[in-house]
Amino acid sequence: MTGAGTAPAIELINVTKRYGEAVALDRVSLQIESGEFFCLLGPSGCGKTTTLNLIGGFIPLTSGELRIEGQRVNDLPPHQRDVNTVFQNYALFPHMSVADNVAFGLRMESLPDDEIGRRVGEYLELVGLSEYRDRYPGQLSGGQAQRVALARALAKRPTVLLLDEPLGALDLKLRKQMQVELARIHRQVGTTFVFVTHDQEEALSMATRIAVMAGGHVRQIGTPREIYLGPVDRFVADFIGESNFLDGRVASNGQGPAFQLSNGTVVPIPTEPDGTQNGRVALMIRPESVGVGRGAPGGMTPNVVIDGRATNVAFMGNHTRITVQTDAGILVALRFHGESDEQAVEEEMLDQEVHVWWDPRESTVVTADDLRGSEEELRGGPEG
Amino acid sequence: MASEIVGGAALAPPTAIGVRRGARLRQLAPFLPAAVIIVGLFLVPLALMFAFSFWSTDENLDVIPVWTLENYQNFFTNPTYVRTLFKTMVIGTGVTIVCLAVAFAVAYFLARYVSRQWARIALLVIIVPFWTSYLLRVYSWQAILGERGALNQVLVGLGIIDEPSLLFVYNDFGTFIVLVYLYIPFAALVLYASLERFDFTQLTAAQDLGASPIRAFRHVLLPQIRPGLITACIFVFIPILGEFLTPSMVGGAQGLLIANLLANFFKNALIPEGAAVGFLIAAFVTVLLIVFRRYLRIEDVVVRG
Repeated sequence: MTGAGTAPAIELINVTKRYGEAVALDRVSLQIESGEFFCLLGPSGCGKTTTLNLIGGFIPLTSGELRIEGQRVNDLPPHQRDVNTVFQNYALFPHMSVADNVAFGLRMESLPDDEIGRRVGEYLELVGLSEYRDRYPGQLSGGQAQRVALARALAKRPTVLLLDEPLGALDLKLRKQMQVELARIHRQVGTTFVFVTHDQEEALSMATRIAVMAGGHVRQIGTPREIYLGPVDRFVADFIGESNFLDGRVASNGQGPAFQLSNGTVVPIPTEPDGTQNGRVALMIRPESVGVGRGAPGGMTPNVVIDGRATNVAFMGNHTRITVQTDAGILVALRFHGESDEQAVEEEMLDQEVHVWWDPRESTVVTADDLRGSEEELRGGPEG
Repeated sequence: MASEIVGGAALAPPTAIGVRRGARLRQLAPFLPAAVIIVGLFLVPLALMFAFSFWSTDENLDVIPVWTLENYQNFFTNPTYVRTLFKTMVIGTGVTIVCLAVAFAVAYFLARYVSRQWARIALLVIIVPFWTSYLLRVYSWQAILGERGALNQVLVGLGIIDEPSLLFVYNDFGTFIVLVYLYIPFAALVLYASLERFDFTQLTAAQDLGASPIRAFRHVLLPQIRPGLITACIFVFIPILGEFLTPSMVGGAQGLLIANLLANFFKNALIPEGAAVGFLIAAFVTVLLIVFRRYLRIEDVVVRG
């Protein structure tokens, strides 16, 4: 519509995808800006892969509109879309050498031979596989095959690169390396990346923005920081990182909105959240925000303090994880090592009466009902 | 070396050379029965027939060792023989193409859209008729294609034709149809074995990279199943060169193929002429196999089928 400079790279407007009775995507709207490293995050069956396949053109929309750079592409077949994909299983062509795999898309465009040769060299260099150009896919390791798939898709210089769980098949160490590598390649080529994963850590570490999906809906869109620190509901809070949830209800303590825990403790909250009046709500606190000790907390901050008993103390290497049973519920606290060696103290806590506390500014009220609903939807929907 | 013969050392003479020779003989022993069968029942008769094809017959039609090229000359100077050979090639090629087209569609559907378990069951259903007698199946086709056969009854019943047609059987058409039916399962098995290993996301990937569905098929699928296609061609085409029962039962007087000619020679005790035709076919097949030997994969049919 307007100039390419202002239109989002990808725009979904009320997109619905049904498989017979099952709804895989339900009126999803989202915009992905040019140059983003955008992550679709959610459990299997949440609709993230469906979204990716719709953008790639591999499956048709049931209703709604899909735009790439402002152009409606609902009915454009995949080979005419300016979008390329790194497939989960890479889908390299086993009968072609690495160089021919990368050249395939360029040959389909009928580019001149010297241009094809130049680009194949350029993108194999980008992924660090220049020496492997004459190998065949069967002779590559998983990580190398992944890089070839990446080079093959990027060599087309698409508007948007789609990545379908590209790190899923790699082992942990390689996955970490590839996370760094993908972020570097994204910076280097500047193309919009749309990335599907169920691994929240992958999403947090690489994405510029994340859409958390469940049951065919987008639950929340935001930067990793926004989503981690301000999840909109219990599902998002639970899916991204580890969380403590304390049951209770929204109340007023005379000075402003507050949250009353089941043991009667009143926790001040900044603003009364929307839509939490009727539904079940919970107070969410990240474990790293929870302090624990046998004595009362020091410092200036107006902490909420409750009493409990340490039921488990686990040494985790760079931190210790302490589980405390309180009359308001179970709280997990993480204590990171380094500043002082308190391991001995922590071990002594086991089965002892302790205090737990947190800064109320670091706790958030989230709706609690949604989780069960979305789990039911998950069972009904198709895979992906 | 020493470690390999430990097992044999207890029985063999204790010298190193004796042990080695004994071990080698024992290694070869399992091949002996096969060697006897191949040499005694295949190579020797083949050599005899080869010699016969260059020999003559006397007035009693006994084969006499008088060398001649006449048997081969006679074949090529008789227009009926050459025409029959040519027709056999044309029908063989036609049947192969139809078989491959139908079998490919079936195999592609099974490999891509049907779970492996159900695909195996479907293939079994395709093969089951081949456990019944060959003769029975060809007779059934006589019944289907004949004047009062099922095909004519259906066509007349539907009003497509007014009276039963005699064109379906006892001619080349009948031979063609029955041969297609007989050889489709072989082609389907070979092609399925080939397609089963193919990762169909590659076609999606090719289209993602800008290939139209047809180009994706040509540049990605076809090169990877080419060995299977060629194996299927060979498994259909070559046996058809030796088909004589089907043409004689549903081909009528003018539907005969080269193998019927060959059978006739032997029936009439014209052994040298028959041998010559046999060797012409064998030479042709050998050339075909040499040309395509790189692609021929017996294990596609024997092991995986």
